[in-house]
This record gives sequence, structure tokens and C-alpha cells, in this order.
Amino acid sequence: MTPKNYLYEMIRSELTWAVGDSYVQTNEADRLGHSIDYYWVPELWHDRGEKPTPPDFVVHPETAQQVSEILKIANTHGLPVIPWGGGSGSQGGALPIYGGIVLDMKRMNKIIEIDPVSMTVTVEVGINTQHLEWAVEKAGFSTMHFPASIACATLGGFIAHRGTGVLSTKYGKIEDMILSLEVVTPTGEIIRTLPVPRHASGPSLTELYLGSEGTLGVVTKATMKIHPIPEARKFHAFLFKTMHDAMAAGSKIMTCRLQPCVIRLYDEAETAKLVKRVLGIDRKGAYLVFGFDGPEKMVDLQLEEACKICRAQEHEDLGTEAGQSWWDHRYKFFYPPYMFHLPQAFGTLDTVATFANIEKVYWAMKNVVQDNFPQATFIGHFSHWYDWGCMLYARFIIDEPPKDPGEAVALYNRIWDMAIRAAIREGGVINEHHGVGLKLGRLMRDLYGPAFKVLESIKKTLDPNNIMNPGKMGFPGKGA
Amino acid sequence: MNIEAFKDAIHACRFCFMCRHLDPVGNVTFREADTPRGRALVCDRILMDPASLKTPDYIDALYRSALSGANRFHCVSHYDETGLVLAARKDAVEAGLAPASVKALAKELAKSAFAVKGKKGATLYYGPHPELYAGCATLAGRDPGKALEVLGFVKASRKVLAAFKKAVAASGCKTLVVAEPSAYDFLKDRLSGIKVVHAADYLLAAKPKAAKARQAHYIESDFLRNYCGNPSSPRDLLKALGYALLPFGTNGEESCAVGEGAVVYDALNPELCARLCARVYALAADSKAPFITASQAVKDTLVKYNPTFNVITLEEALLA
Repeated sequence: MTPKNYLYEMIRSELTWAVGDSYVQTNEADRLGHSIDYYWVPELWHDRGEKPTPPDFVVHPETAQQVSEILKIANTHGLPVIPWGGGSGSQGGALPIYGGIVLDMKRMNKIIEIDPVSMTVTVEVGINTQHLEWAVEKAGFSTMHFPASIACATLGGFIAHRGTGVLSTKYGKIEDMILSLEVVTPTGEIIRTLPVPRHASGPSLTELYLGSEGTLGVVTKATMKIHPIPEARKFHAFLFKTMHDAMAAGSKIMTCRLQPCVIRLYDEAETAKLVKRVLGIDRKGAYLVFGFDGPEKMVDLQLEEACKICRAQEHEDLGTEAGQSWWDHRYKFFYPPYMFHLPQAFGTLDTVATFANIEKVYWAMKNVVQDNFPQATFIGHFSHWYDWGCMLYARFIIDEPPKDPGEAVALYNRIWDMAIRAAIREGGVINEHHGVGLKLGRLMRDLYGPAFKVLESIKKTLDPNNIMNPGKMGFPGKGA
Repeated sequence: MNIEAFKDAIHACRFCFMCRHLDPVGNVTFREADTPRGRALVCDRILMDPASLKTPDYIDALYRSALSGANRFHCVSHYDETGLVLAARKDAVEAGLAPASVKALAKELAKSAFAVKGKKGATLYYGPHPELYAGCATLAGRDPGKALEVLGFVKASRKVLAAFKKAVAASGCKTLVVAEPSAYDFLKDRLSGIKVVHAADYLLAAKPKAAKARQAHYIESDFLRNYCGNPSSPRDLLKALGYALLPFGTNGEESCAVGEGAVVYDALNPELCARLCARVYALAADSKAPFITASQAVKDTLVKYNPTFNVITLEEALLA
């Protein structure tokens, strides 16, 4: 859409009528800010002096009713609507690739109720998750949702992408934390899903919207679990000769049904590169850290049992201090200059699999990257451990990608295509908590097979004009 | 361009979201352009294409910043995003691109004059409460040049500072006590032959007697905490005066100093300043205890938008 034509002004008038003059932005600085999220491709595009596609309008609704009105305006004019939380998604899920309306949800940030009896909080999902955690802590509880992006992302962003936090092994991913949702459907109806997640009243509508990435509607409120502040939280770290040894110990901790709040295992390459740089632990091997929280007696008992499992392997005991240091510095990995950054090309090949498959997935991806892209470094760690398996946070880094942005993107996508397809062949699932977005949409058919048609049918039924975040999650783009 | 010296901050902040929860303006406008990332992206675009400095929306974004140091303080690498914005403002001024409202404000601020009053002695006091400083000479005058510097008018700032220095030199004093944190931040390393101390340090050294036990909230000064190394003297002074400090809001990281870092924020962005104040009032809604600030400007701003808001300055706490 061309600014300054009369249709543009007509639409702007409708939008400002819906949310107020101060909450519709069309200026260059805001449009620039919304043209780039945390996905490497638009970052590269900007870095090379190109201009990623900006939205036509940035709109900040305050209520679900206003969201409904905006969606009705968008349906009338056939404009794409792209929900935007903190903008820190790494998959391009919030990019306005066809222009249109960016629905910036941050103004919907109110805490509606903290229920100390049921231990839940009901909240508007535009709230910054650090702000939410602070408010819940003030009431004497915790969300136990501590992602690396806690300070930047909104609760809605986590819901949209099935995000997770560092304590997911005990407290679950966002889909385990959410009880119910308020959603504005693409045609503007405001609905609430059932108030509790455990029921036998048909399929779960809450589950339908968890991970829908703004393609099926706009989530506006959520009720989520909160938890008591644990009496104790303790950590311990070990160094193993090989990643395989460390994996054996980590998986045994889980399959023995101990209940750590966190386990993280860094492969030899990441131990040498990042653990050394951030934590100052300069050793060869694979660094494994775990933690337990709850009543102190139970923490001590479980910690000792986990240590016994680790000590049964060849190991170096780094002690509680090296474990606590990891916890204290857990966010430091994601600040500049510790995080990878342009001009480097880098990507997180987020994959999840069972314990039986996870190492096969790791080696399949590593071999594909190393055999085909000798200029790339492959590192990885395993986080978010469950009873049945864990997540592989594998990363590739190219220090000097091609100068031409088109060539750089082509190389980048080729690595993704090959590595992810290798992971899928070994039983891996893309992905565990970053979402699909623009980045991985083309791989959804490989992943789902014929089942993808079910998702497409749902999308078509709920969003007949395809206004909601078109071109994401493998769904059709605008005009397709 | 001045922003070239801040390339490291541009490149670190332009794609980083890790401190956005602390930008006071972004937290009330919800706009991407009102975050450190948003401003770094704007500066990056200007660095790539200097002609884009002429984009009025970019200039507007630069002058909307409250220049809170909370983001830099929080960042594990302490990238100087506020320094970057100041440099970009300088570039705008040097290119003649400062908005008319900024130019008018700068013209007004350039009219500063300074005079020493009272008998000459060892200590010179610069602030609104000379009655607390018996035996000290008083330096009267408006902002010593910090406000002009913050607006990007560096040459005009230097002229005002020169007039300030001249008045200080004429006093013959050996110690300058500065009450306003912005002025303290500006002067502490720029005067020779005279020691510059903040009023809280000076008053604390005088060992004030505690009055009755009482409670209050302390609104952290952006300058003292985030620019000047977070001295404990303001809190120690209040403790010495018998105040038990209550927690305020949900955290100790956010800046509640309603634009203090931008010195003349209310004069430039009253609508935004009113929103910053509204956030503080909302956070304060469940408390009856008074609020104490180190900054007269912060007090004046908070009272301007809610005359019933119970706030006093550190110096007034001594008088209370």
C-alpha cells in the first residue's frame, strides 16, 4: 500500500477511530523497528543496506474489543494482520512480509487477577514476561517461566510459538503452564476456551491456539499456573570426557524419574567455545549441569542421587559452585557480544527427539553441516529434558558469509534445508520452542506429511480471507 | 558523524532485545522506536545513509528518549546506548536539523547567568535549599549547561559552563556542593581547583540527627544510580534521618525518575512525561508512605501532573 493515497488515509481513519490517534503509528522509525525481528535474514538484509518490508500501520489495541474491530477492518480491506509481541522471535513469525497491519500487543499488559487459591494468574498477553514475573513475585509466587528472552518477549509471544523457559524440565513449556485463553478469531468473534485444560469435552481449543503463531486468531488473555517460591534451588556440574557419556548420565537422571528443574548438556565444541567464554571454565569435554528445587531436604536427596548417577561414569566433578555459576550467568549467553552476531551467519537448529534418537539426530545434523559446509562451525547443547527425550539446541556459525545478501540467504537456507531434513529422517521434530514462522514454513509438509492438510483446512475455515499472518507456518501467502 | 564513535553500541543494540523491559518511554508508549533497539536501528540507518538524518521521524525518535541509564546499567556489557543517542542529537544539531521546539528550548537555556551570594568561605552550595548549608556561600543560577548538552547543543553548553566556572572561581571556595543530580553528573569531572560533591554526601558527613522513625519510598535518581556509580549516600542519609525505606513497585531495576536523564524532558515532551508520571502514580497507588527523590526536577514533574502526590526531596527530608 502506498502511503498518502486516499485509501491509505481512509483505512488510517478507521484504525484511529478504533484505538485512538496515539495508538496508530505510520512513522518511519516505528515502521523500521517492526520490519526486523530477531530472525537472522531481516537482520542481514538491514546490515547490508537493504530495507526489509515495513508494515503500513502499527496499531496498539488496548482491549479484545479493539482487536476485534481491527480484524473486521482488515477483513473489509483485505489487509494482512501480523500480531507482534516483543519482536524477539527468531523465526520471522512477526515480520510484516506483505506490509499491512502490525498488531503490536504490548499495550494489553494488565494483570487481571492473581488467584492464590488455585495458584493461577489471569493476564493480558501483551505483558512483558519479566514484568509479569516481577508482579507475580511481589504477590509471593513465581511463574517459573525463565526463558532467555524473559526481558524482551511477551506472554503472547510464548503462547504463539510454544515457547519455553530454562526450568521447563520440572515446570513445563508454555503449553503446560496455560489453563485457558481468550482469543479473537480472524473474523472478529471474541471467544474463551474452556477454563481448565484437563477435560473430556471434545478436543482442546486451547491447544489449537498454542503454537498457532497468529495465523488462526489473536490471543488476548491467558490464565496460567503460578507456583510457590521454592525453599531451595541447588545446582551441580560435571565434566564428561564425551558428549555421549554425559548424555547417558543425563538421560538416566530423567528415566530414573528424578525430577530436576533443569538439565543442560553442552557438547565438546560448545563447552570449548561458549562455556569457556561465559563461565570461564576452560576444560576439554562435555559440560553437564543440573538443578533441583523445592523443599530443601528433597532437593538435597535428589541432587545426591543425580550426582551418584554422574559419578558412575568417567567424570570430573565441577561441584555446586560451577553449577550455581551457570545459573547466575544463564542469560549472559544471550547478550552482545557473547551472542553470535552479524556479520556472522548463525542459526539455531532447534530439534526435539526421544532419548533413543536424540544422539542420532545430533550426528546426522552435524555430519550434514560439516560435510557440506566446511566453512561452518557446528556446536550444540541439549536443554529442556523430559521423561522421554530432550531438545537439541544445535547451532551453525559461519564467520564470513557471502557479501551479497541474496547469496548469503541462499547459503543459510541450504544449511537449514539439509540439516533439518536430516534430523526429520532420524526421528527429530522441528522444533521444540522457537516456532516455525517464515523460516521453517517450507519444511512443515515434510514434517507433517498428509496431516498438514488438516492444519490447512482449519486455517481456511477460521480465516477465510487469509488475513492472519499470511505466509507463516507453511500456510499460503497473501494472494496465494 | 558523531555517532561513528558509537559504532559498537549501534552494532550491539540494533538487534538486541535484552533490556527493552527497562526503557521507561517504551514501557508507556509500547512503541518499538522508543526502545534502545529501535533507536539503535535508526542510528544504524543514519550511519549507513547520512542523508536519512533528514527524516523527521528519526529525529523525533531521538528526542523522545528519556535517556535513562537503566538500560545501560542492566546490560551485562554496558553498551552506551544513551551516549549514542546524545551523539545522534549532536549530529542533528550540527546539521541544523533539530526540531523547532528543541531550538527554542536551547535558546532559552543559553540565557543562563550565575552569581555567588553570601559570605565567602570554603564551601559553595548550588541548589534550592541554602538554609541547610549554614556558613556556605551560595551559587544562584539555572542549569550549568547539562540541559544544552543533552539537547545536542554542545557549543552553547560550553559557553554556559564557562560562565558557571567563572562564578565558581570568583567564589574562592574549595568545595562545591551540588544538589541536582543532573548538574552533579555534569560538573563532577569538569571543574578544576574545586572538589565537587553531591549534597547527599555532604549532608551525611555532617552526621544529621535522626528524627522520629518513619517510612518512605525512595525514587532512585537516574543520574546517581545509573550514571554516577550508584553511591549509597542518599539511602544512608535517609536511614540516618530515621527513614525505613519501603520497596516500591515490583522491582528495583526500572527507572521511575520521570525523564530525569533527559533533564528538560517535560519541557520537550510533556505528553510523554505525563505518561511516565502516570505509571509512577499507578505503582504508588497502594501506598500511603511519602516518596523521596534526590532531584528537585523529578519532584516538580511528579507534582505538576498530580499536585496531591506526596513527594519531597532529600534536602526537604532533612527539613521535615
